[in-house]
Amino acid sequence: MGYVFQGLALNIVQALLLLAFAPLIAGVINKVKAFLQKRQGASVLQEYFDLAKWWKKPTILTPYTSIIFVVAPAVYFITSFLAASMLPGFLAGQISISDAFIFVYILALGRFFMCLSSMDAATAFGGMGGSREVYVSVLVEPAVMLAILINSLRYHSTTLSGMVIDYDGAYFTVSAALACVAFFLVILAENSRLPVDNPDTHLELTMIHEGMTLEYSGPLLTLIHLGSMLKVMVFLTLFGALYLPLAVPLAVKILFGAVLIGLVEILNNKMRLFKVRVYMGAAIVLLLLAIIAE
Amino acid sequence: MDLLLCSLLIYLLGTMTIIWPHKLEMTAHYAGTACAIIASGMVAVISICYLVMPVGGLLVDTDWGSYSLAADGWSSVFLAITGIAGFFISIYALDYAKGYRGSRIRALTGLWNLFLLSIVAVLIAGDAFTFIVAWEIMALVSFLLVNHEADRKETVSAAYQYMVMTHLGTAAILVAFYLLGSHSASFSFVDMMQNTLDGSLKHIAFGCAFAGFALKSGLMPLHTWLPNAHPAAPSHVSALMSGVMLKVALYGFGRFAFQFIGMDNIWYGLIVMIVGLLSAFLGVLYATMEVDMKRILAYSSVENMGIIFGAFGCGMLLMAMHLMPLAIVAFTAATVHAFSHSLMKGLMFMSAGAVMHATGSKNIEKMGGLLKKMPYTAFFTLIGAMALSSLPFTSGLVGEWLVLQSFITLAQQAGTPELRLLVVLSFILLGLTGATALGCFVRLYATAFLGRARSHIVDKAHEQPFFMLLGMGIAAVLVVAVGILPDSVVNTMQMLVAGPMTAPMGNPLGIMWGGSGHYAIYSPVIILAVTLVITLAVAIAVACFGGGFQRREVTWNCGTVPTERQQYSATGFSKPLRRAFDSILNSQRRTEYIRKDHDYFGRKLQVHLEIPDLFTEKLYKPIQTWMISSSSAFRHIQEGSVSLYIGYTMIAMIFVLIWGVM
Repeated sequence: MGYVFQGLALNIVQALLLLAFAPLIAGVINKVKAFLQKRQGASVLQEYFDLAKWWKKPTILTPYTSIIFVVAPAVYFITSFLAASMLPGFLAGQISISDAFIFVYILALGRFFMCLSSMDAATAFGGMGGSREVYVSVLVEPAVMLAILINSLRYHSTTLSGMVIDYDGAYFTVSAALACVAFFLVILAENSRLPVDNPDTHLELTMIHEGMTLEYSGPLLTLIHLGSMLKVMVFLTLFGALYLPLAVPLAVKILFGAVLIGLVEILNNKMRLFKVRVYMGAAIVLLLLAIIAE
Repeated sequence: MDLLLCSLLIYLLGTMTIIWPHKLEMTAHYAGTACAIIASGMVAVISICYLVMPVGGLLVDTDWGSYSLAADGWSSVFLAITGIAGFFISIYALDYAKGYRGSRIRALTGLWNLFLLSIVAVLIAGDAFTFIVAWEIMALVSFLLVNHEADRKETVSAAYQYMVMTHLGTAAILVAFYLLGSHSASFSFVDMMQNTLDGSLKHIAFGCAFAGFALKSGLMPLHTWLPNAHPAAPSHVSALMSGVMLKVALYGFGRFAFQFIGMDNIWYGLIVMIVGLLSAFLGVLYATMEVDMKRILAYSSVENMGIIFGAFGCGMLLMAMHLMPLAIVAFTAATVHAFSHSLMKGLMFMSAGAVMHATGSKNIEKMGGLLKKMPYTAFFTLIGAMALSSLPFTSGLVGEWLVLQSFITLAQQAGTPELRLLVVLSFILLGLTGATALGCFVRLYATAFLGRARSHIVDKAHEQPFFMLLGMGIAAVLVVAVGILPDSVVNTMQMLVAGPMTAPMGNPLGIMWGGSGHYAIYSPVIILAVTLVITLAVAIAVACFGGGFQRREVTWNCGTVPTERQQYSATGFSKPLRRAFDSILNSQRRTEYIRKDHDYFGRKLQVHLEIPDLFTEKLYKPIQTWMISSSSAFRHIQEGSVSLYIGYTMIAMIFVLIWGVM
């Protein structure tokens, strides 16, 4: 049993590491966007200061909310953290306690509670955010399933650690390139980035994720923001380790992914909500081609 | 074993409540339900003991003239499902059915026992004759139970629709049994097993059996009775119908597939898999559009039976490819999901009953904020909703994970491009189904239990009596227990479909499956342990170092006080999905102006939204129209004039004479 506890401790250490750097990556994305807009922009450390500020503020709740509203941010944060601890290990000696499907369903647990809490505050904005989150997730899910399928076909494993790019073989293939592009589209949709959602706006009719967080304040808001930053980090790590077929260190790949997100966000507008199915359709077709080319 | 026959006698004793004197109707109800609880508990214990420690031989093996009873492992699994679900739903019925005091409660309780009895009888039938008799009793009794609130018009029409459709299914099953029986010259299951059909007769027998059982389990396009019958029936009856009766159809189909027909034809598996997966997605899509709580659950049953049959078809396909060691994961997935669905759907129908009991309505658009009025029910419903969205730590994910693993296994083995494309499409459907199910139950739970009350019916809502809570509580505990410690259930099912020789998938830490290459592991215990550690850390951090809780304040609403009508409605919640899949749903929306003084303000509108069932509109209604028009064409030869009829007789006689001469 000893190695199990040691492995679990390492899993948690890995998640803590990712957590520590998650606000930095969010800062990098913002800096890239500012640079491309010819602005000075906030410091890359700004997200840390924002989180600390929210954390110190007291929580104010609407009178209609129930316990679900208070529990949801914690569940959201914890599921992101769990997902981070399940990533293919970059620390030696980790153990695998789940596979890619469980990874997806752990994140679904967080989404379930966030969508519930969005309806709990009894306002129109929350419900709108929850409703759209469900809509986007329905369109994203098939692409996620196919992304798992293609890697499990290639590496004969459904565990995340078993799917890591094998640099000994032919890793830069047509199907790998197609899957890489498709998975990047999935990242943008899954993490509420442009062109699917706009992470910078409040009180616009276009928002999805921000609509759900509108009623939150104080530590609860901090947990949600930290959770979504961690989720971006988790997906970038996954992108680097599993889908980006370049033989460079993982940290470089994560930074590359962050820069890429910034670039895409500058070059694109928020797309009309009902156009998202065309966008996700493109991702699915790319994955389909990748599987046929495999 | 004689104990099982004893439990049948107890059910029969419970049925006697029908003839108790009217004055003692509540005593009759308590006595009858107690019989159902005891007998179901006995069935559960006996079948679980048999499954855990198979003593060799059959669980039941009795012969009475033309009737024979025989129960093997496959029967025992479904007996266990029946026993467990029957047990907690009967406990729930102790309090729930009290609402029918003065309206034939004796009949309700008596028929409840008879319904359970007939289900058990179907499962232990040893020959086709007994099977069909028990199957017919089950159909008739469930018809009477659906029709219990016969003073409501929609109940009667739903019940008769169910009656007609279930008999079509029985007819198909009869044909299948006839083909098998006439070939093996015996209706005993043992003889049928030894004489398998071949050629086109086999295809016909398979088609009939699949159609018949698919109808009973509510697969599309034969599902149309299900979303009408479930809401019409009393809630505990819907819970038993959805949780158990649909699984009995899986039992029957499994017996045909495993023993009577075989799976060597690749098309059989393909058909079952495709029908299953399409039902899964369309079922959950319709579920997400409904506002009637029980209709949502009914369509969700279509979805889950679709997933179960999809996995079963996947297993049949792997068997047809001669990959028996790999096919076990698919059959295990189907049975585990069937078991877990009986728990979670039983739970959810019971909570739908509790909500109906509290508010007097099934329409979630009129609810809201029920969590504060009925916290225990809300908690149990949350567990049910999580399980049906197949989230971690519930039994839902155990089944779902095995289903996904079996499809990955199929994908690994898919050699031809056609098969690979099919697997890709199955994954797209599974992904769509999973995410839509999550949306569906978020919508159901959030609209009914969270936020603010949308109408005054919530004001008088109250927590439910003890036995109703106990019934739901047992189901919720089982859902979570199986979700966290799945190994015993998974191993039992695996041993059943694969024999004791294979390496068990479950171990105390979780489930493992290595058929798709490397080992895939799902360990809910360890994930739970990590979760608890992090939860503790987060709780301490928020409580000790966070900014704390200050006060409650009404949301800023641009200077106005938010009203409860500004909340998102259930219909609004699913609107993006409705638009995205409108080519399938074909929703009909009509806006009516009740008052319109000006183009932009001072208006009062009414929006009518209708989402007709695709198959009712495109398949059943044309058939119905055609039947009516063709029978009215025959009306012309029947004008009512006596001389014309004499003319017909004469013409017929002349024909007969000519035919006789030739």
